[in-house]
Amino acid sequence: MSQRDLAAELHAARVPAPTALRERVRLIAAADRTPTPRRFTWRRALVVVLPVAAAIAASIVFTRPSGHTAQPVVERGIAHGSSTFKAAPAGIAPTLSVPAPSRTRAQRYGADLALRVPNPTRVSDGVKRALRIVRALGGYATSVHATTTGRDAHAELTLKVPRAHVQQAVSQLSALGTITGEQVDVQDLQTGLNSTDRTIARLQQQLKALRSRPASAANDATIAALVARVQKLQRAEASTIRAARYATVQLRLTTPVAKQATAGHGRLHGIVVALTWLGVGLAYALAIGAPLLVLCGLAWLALRTIRRRREDELLSRS
Amino acid sequence: MTFAQAAEKHLDDVYGYLAWFTSDRFAAEELTAETFERALRLWHRFDPQRGSARTWLCQVARTAALDHFRSERRRTRREQLAAVPDRVDATFADGLSPDLESALGALTAGEREVVALRIVLELDTGTAARVLGISATNCTTRLNRALKKLEEALHVAA
Repeated sequence: MSQRDLAAELHAARVPAPTALRERVRLIAAADRTPTPRRFTWRRALVVVLPVAAAIAASIVFTRPSGHTAQPVVERGIAHGSSTFKAAPAGIAPTLSVPAPSRTRAQRYGADLALRVPNPTRVSDGVKRALRIVRALGGYATSVHATTTGRDAHAELTLKVPRAHVQQAVSQLSALGTITGEQVDVQDLQTGLNSTDRTIARLQQQLKALRSRPASAANDATIAALVARVQKLQRAEASTIRAARYATVQLRLTTPVAKQATAGHGRLHGIVVALTWLGVGLAYALAIGAPLLVLCGLAWLALRTIRRRREDELLSRS
Repeated sequence: MTFAQAAEKHLDDVYGYLAWFTSDRFAAEELTAETFERALRLWHRFDPQRGSARTWLCQVARTAALDHFRSERRRTRREQLAAVPDRVDATFADGLSPDLESALGALTAGEREVVALRIVLELDTGTAARVLGISATNCTTRLNRALKKLEEALHVAA
């Protein structure tokens, strides 16, 4: 008998299920109350919803604008007769309104301006224009440092401006570029001057009393010492008054550098950051998970082999 | 397709497969009932896109049969009987020649199983391999070996 005949005979001899078994199976099937399987189960929905929620949360976290860059922060502090007026960089800042110097009191007035200009040429032009502005207001430059390296340029100027025109000077200088930082320090010197005046007056009264006494070697020495002290105080007072006539303005002009590149973020920056961190997380997960996966795979293969061998052994019996 | 429809349609196939596999009609009846009880519990897992109901029922039946073989082996060991399991009824099907019936008795359960799936139920090689949990090549090899064994037995008997 050929294999084909053999197969035909085997196929023809099918075994029908007995009637009793058929009835039994019908009874089993009658107990079927299983609802139609849903295509979208909660497990399948979680597989989609969880990654999407994580991506949305990451996007929100990383794309949320940081509040401190939205508005320039202005801080004002006054202590012991001095005041500080500071503006933090805000990308595009308007001309700062600095406090006016007092007309009646002596003050040490200092201003610090940091400006950003688009290119090295504008730095050079800015230096020239700043010197012109200061000269026009009756001031002068005490130091000028300018550096140009390729597409980057930097200039630092120390300018002396008559205190009466400092507001005008700051206003005109701040128009040379985009303000990235500005600080104004005002220190009141009048209290110290008044105190010196009182000391000088007291010493002069002492001198007058000493001069009215009969001349003696000791008296003459005391008078000489007092005169010297009075002259020293008067020189110091004159120096303070001279210094108070001029305000010191520190001006820095720079072109955009790497710092600017990191500060100005595009709209998609947050998503890029989120994706970067997701990638980093994925790399860590792979680095840690890959060996575990390999071990699990090997264990699974071993278990399958054992199970198959046992099965083959079981089925090798007739 | 509902479970009742699937049970009605494939009952003969499942029973025939188990009868050939176990070579015991009474055991096959019990296992068929157990298969459909299990299948009813697992019916929500059945996915028609991954395979036909017949294939899925044969897989459930095979699991039930393997459990039956394991329990039989434990029982025979416990009773210290011969390793050969009891065969209450060695008649595989009606209409088989006595020589073929005898030759089938010499096959192992694994060989009878592949004959039942490939020849009696006419499953294609891929589907039969999936039911058996082996590769298609292995399935074909196993079938050829079984048929050759039957052929030789019949030749000797002749």
